[in-house]
Amino acid sequence: MNFRTDLTAELPYLRRFARALTGDPALADDLVQDCVERALVKSHLYDPTRPLRAWLYTVLRNIHVSGLRRERRAGIVKTVDDLSDPEVMLKPTQEGETLLLQVASALDRLPDQQREVMILVALEDMSYRDVAEITGVPVGTVMSRLSRARGALRELIGEGAKPSLRRVK
Amino acid sequence: MTEPNHNEDWSLHAYADGEIAGSEGRALDERLAEDPEARAKVEAWRRQKAWLKEAFDPVLDEPVPAQIKAALRHRRGFTLSPWAIAAALALLIIGAGAGWFANLQMSAPQAKQFADLAIEAHEIYTHENRHAVEVAASDGDHLTTWLSKRIGQKLVVPDLTARGYTFMGGRLLAAGAQPAAQLMYEDQAKRRITIFVAANQTNKETAFLVTQKDNVTACYWLDGPLGFVIAGETGREDIVSLAHLVYQSFEM
Repeated sequence: MNFRTDLTAELPYLRRFARALTGDPALADDLVQDCVERALVKSHLYDPTRPLRAWLYTVLRNIHVSGLRRERRAGIVKTVDDLSDPEVMLKPTQEGETLLLQVASALDRLPDQQREVMILVALEDMSYRDVAEITGVPVGTVMSRLSRARGALRELIGEGAKPSLRRVK
Repeated sequence: MTEPNHNEDWSLHAYADGEIAGSEGRALDERLAEDPEARAKVEAWRRQKAWLKEAFDPVLDEPVPAQIKAALRHRRGFTLSPWAIAAALALLIIGAGAGWFANLQMSAPQAKQFADLAIEAHEIYTHENRHAVEVAASDGDHLTTWLSKRIGQKLVVPDLTARGYTFMGGRLLAAGAQPAAQLMYEDQAKRRITIFVAANQTNKETAFLVTQKDNVTACYWLDGPLGFVIAGETGREDIVSLAHLVYQSFEM
């Protein structure tokens, strides 16, 4: 087994995960680069009986989260942390946005913890158990975040059959 | 909608995500056939899933940017951040002899790999003024005990004073996934050379081999339990004769 070869095969998936997490191609690739560097140095910590992708996602996710924490300490707020204020959260999507842009922008509006769970489960097809390990919370917490995220996306995008211009009452 | 419902039917989420199989899955199939509301939920979630994939799957087909490929080729293992030290400690605990670890070794011939790492470390640390070494020569006993323990082999500090080089001290490096030691020397003209030592995890031994990068020349070899690299901004003959001295120091 060659760790570097296996890592190379995972690069497209790391890029997809990072793109969905950040919503920004340049930021996402910086994140993947950091992840690759850290993974190479920490490769001895990888347990080969576990899927490599889940381990790499853990590394990437932790770099991302510590970056977000830094931003918060610096007073930069990128996402709204609390869904309970619909005035702030549910900005109507722009008219003419394609469904896919709507999906990306709705995802971007989710609180961080919900977004990462949604991405890992729905986009990356990770099991609840793997998501719990990657995000460092119990499976029950994963499920409740998932449920909130699904509810919020439904509010933000609707059923997707028509451009969603639903406003909050 | 934004508040989690305490009566939420978690099994529906698990079903939509393929977490439920077997008889439990069949029971849910039957339930959904008779429960349009539950069916609508599951369908809506699956639709979200499809949208996400449609939005982001195209990334999978994009070529991987050069910066990322470069990060994969380039090894930036030379730091003394807490995790590098933790990595070295973890290694000790696991035991350098553990077989699974050997599996993670890169396939490139180890001697040349050491040489590349040593040259990089040489370039990084010989340009430091105040922090060229982690433990100074004045604390030499502590240094050799400490590094020997980390590398898992008895190390000595070769005496190169006959060649005009004074021992400055040394440091622990994270050489990829294994600990390595760097010893630094300086002559009166402030020219520095470094000796890199790490455990030889192959069963192979080599002759003295010489490589060059930028203006650094390195002589490297694998000998018994250890691998060595001596590097400096000096000529090939100079480095090889220093290598002989180092080799002899470890023979004793």
